[in-house]
Amino acid sequence: MSEYLPFVVIGLFTGAVYALAAAGLVLTYKTSGVFNFGHGAIGMFAAYVFYHLNTAWGWGTIPSMAVALLLFGPLMGVLLDRVLFRSLAGAGLATYVVASLGLLVFLQGLAVVWKGGNTYRINPFFPTNTFKVPGVSGVFVTVEQALVVGIAVLAGVALTAFFRVTTLGLRTRAVVNDRDLTSLVGVSPNVVTTLSWALGCFFASLSAILFVPSLGLDSVLLTLLVLTALGAAAAGRLTSIPVTMATAFAIGVGQSLLVKAIGTRPSLAGLPTSLPFVVLFVILFFAKKTTFALPARAQERIAKATALRGGRSHRSRFPAGQLLVLSAVAVLLPATVSGYRLSTATTAVGMVLVFSSLSLLLGLSRQVSLCHAMFVSFGATNLSLLLHAHVPFLPALILAALLVVPLGAIVAIPSIRLSGLFLALATFGFGKLAQDVLYPTALAFGSDSLASIPRPAAFRGPAAFYYLVLAIAIAGVVVVEVLKASRLGRTLRALADSPTAVESLGISPWASRVIVFCVSAFLAGLAGGLLGTLVQSINPNSFDFFLSLLWVTVLVVAGASTLGGSVLAAILLVVVPAVLTSRAVTEWQPVAFGLAAMAFAQLPNGIMTMVRMPDWSAAWQRVSWKAAHQQRARERHAVTAPVRAT
Amino acid sequence: MGSPMLALENIHAGYGRFEVLHGVDLRVPPGKTVALLGANGAGKTTLLKAAAGLVPTTAGQITLDGVRVERIPPQKRARRGLMLIPEGRGIFRDLTVRENLAMFAGRRSVSEAIERAVAAFPVLDGRLGQRAGSLSGGQQQMVAVSRALIADARVILADELSVGLAPVVVDEIFEAVNVLRAEGRSLVIVEQYVDRVLDVADYVYVLHKGRVALVGEPEQCRRDAVFDQYIGAATHS
Repeated sequence: MSEYLPFVVIGLFTGAVYALAAAGLVLTYKTSGVFNFGHGAIGMFAAYVFYHLNTAWGWGTIPSMAVALLLFGPLMGVLLDRVLFRSLAGAGLATYVVASLGLLVFLQGLAVVWKGGNTYRINPFFPTNTFKVPGVSGVFVTVEQALVVGIAVLAGVALTAFFRVTTLGLRTRAVVNDRDLTSLVGVSPNVVTTLSWALGCFFASLSAILFVPSLGLDSVLLTLLVLTALGAAAAGRLTSIPVTMATAFAIGVGQSLLVKAIGTRPSLAGLPTSLPFVVLFVILFFAKKTTFALPARAQERIAKATALRGGRSHRSRFPAGQLLVLSAVAVLLPATVSGYRLSTATTAVGMVLVFSSLSLLLGLSRQVSLCHAMFVSFGATNLSLLLHAHVPFLPALILAALLVVPLGAIVAIPSIRLSGLFLALATFGFGKLAQDVLYPTALAFGSDSLASIPRPAAFRGPAAFYYLVLAIAIAGVVVVEVLKASRLGRTLRALADSPTAVESLGISPWASRVIVFCVSAFLAGLAGGLLGTLVQSINPNSFDFFLSLLWVTVLVVAGASTLGGSVLAAILLVVVPAVLTSRAVTEWQPVAFGLAAMAFAQLPNGIMTMVRMPDWSAAWQRVSWKAAHQQRARERHAVTAPVRAT
Repeated sequence: MGSPMLALENIHAGYGRFEVLHGVDLRVPPGKTVALLGANGAGKTTLLKAAAGLVPTTAGQITLDGVRVERIPPQKRARRGLMLIPEGRGIFRDLTVRENLAMFAGRRSVSEAIERAVAAFPVLDGRLGQRAGSLSGGQQQMVAVSRALIADARVILADELSVGLAPVVVDEIFEAVNVLRAEGRSLVIVEQYVDRVLDVADYVYVLHKGRVALVGEPEQCRRDAVFDQYIGAATHS
């Protein structure tokens, strides 16, 4: 037993950092309704500011830390509230997710441009000497560990007291409860929210800076710190700071004890890092229906606000004209491009199918799914397994996609009980868990961490394979567009507006939600098989869980409601980086992309809002109506003319 | 009517692209009570929200005790003495009764705020530590109306105070309204019980499809055939 105690100490230190990160995350969510995926990135940037002042400008540790913590962090919070999130008031969840992901990409990109992508070592801020824990034999604690745990506990107590005792805390809770009423009693909700953002960003900065000496200054690792805070934040239902912080400590200790318990068994090596996501998924998966579901009134308020912003597209016509023109262009493409350009085009067409399947969830039923890369990845690994079992290519491709459907159904289960952000987080947790726990098994990549997908002889040529991908993508897009125009599509749109109204019509909401997840998973699996076959070998990082976030961001920026949006998303993600390859462009691309995500997320249908696509079916209706009108006029004339003549 | 405490002139307002109010004029003299009546969808709630600053006006001007306020945010209007008690219980449901009263206290001390609320509604005394959302509908409305009693608001806009309440509770609420009148506050009351509000009102405005259809004193209105046309069904119910 005593050999586990040192691991408890290490776990308490890690848990303290998680607790500080999670507290800031919950604080801003509680007061602004924004779940900030960029929370970790803000902390990361504060750590870079500290590093720059400390090393490049030669400032002492304390002044550098003071500027990073007390000036940069809060100022960032004020800026974010005033410039970005306040302008999004009333927007749907996807908009907030994408804007905060845009912030993440922007800050991370900027950090890399500023300091390069290296990991820097930072000397400990606190003394590293150890002392013996009184009354416990053989357990030594460093001063740093004790101080960081002490800071976290103190911060937790202070935050809880702030909400319970102080006037500002009471006002903050009042804003959370009823923003309009708060302004009616003479308190500015905007000022309260701004202060909360400042405080939240201070916590983001504090957790990152405290973690830097042990983790190193690394733009990616520090940004992802927020993800490990997710499980704790979910345990506190994103509202209770004491529960959140206590769970964060428990997760830290749990991770550390798992490291000790697992030892060197490679098959379980991913378990400690995925513990926060196990907690996240288990809490959300097994929660009572009412615990995390947004109240129906709140859902309808968001729907109404979105409608007032002009954010709902109620068009349900099949875009036959657009599909025809786009298909014709795609069919003619191999005549003009070849080599790597054709390979890029093939990837882009495959990605159109990925985005089209994602648009079923994002654009139609307004369910933000953050594990789409998992469907794509399993589509590819299933195909690999089936091909190695000597199943012919085309049946194997279909079967591989069908085998992804049960995964879609599992992910859909939370969608019955959860709504909005909590569904998004549950899908995200599931995607990360799958990558950490399922990918290393024989069900996916196995111990080789590799899945080879030989291309069938008939499609070995690049043009032949391009046409195969194109044919399947067109078929998939037709399924998506038919589904959008069908009764199921109308039901899903109605569900996004008012689940209560739909249930009152006697329609079961869960059946529709499960079906749409299954269809989406099938099509994503199909695309995964095709994209895997194109490169012929994939590994667990080929469709990393983080790609799911990126895809959602790109699709919302391009336009999640229409076919044009899916095509534009594929072009932005695949074609643009392949064309613009100069170093400066590559370096600044994430910065520009993050900025674009924050700017265009506000438009109801992304960039496509600004693009007026020709309305072929309406044009056709006009033409056919005109023709019919002329015909009727001729017929009337034919009947009446003889009468006039006499 | 004399120099008004609150004057709305040519107010145009609505939600997004949908205009609800098409040039409404309304004047509330100091210490007087105005009944604002009209069918569902006439624009009564929108007019009160526009006056309080929750719905932006696209044209027109709002004057509070001689000062233009249409461009200032709701909290500043509230601090200048304009109070809206919104429809559907204007309380913080997740805060306790004591915390609600603390939010309403403004410049007063919390203990003074509690004292005034409990003096008007003694039943609240035993409920101070209870979550406001868990009170009965009548008690919730008492907390909401306490806000008017506690604060030094000069103009109180009350939207459907009696909706969903038992008649005996409505009596208590209207007693509080009489206290506010006696204190010399100016009131605008939107109310479903037309007869009751006509008993306490000094002036009546009838809205129809976002426009003022009729203005007058209660007795004049009761005799007016046009008033009967707009509101008749409600007065006889």
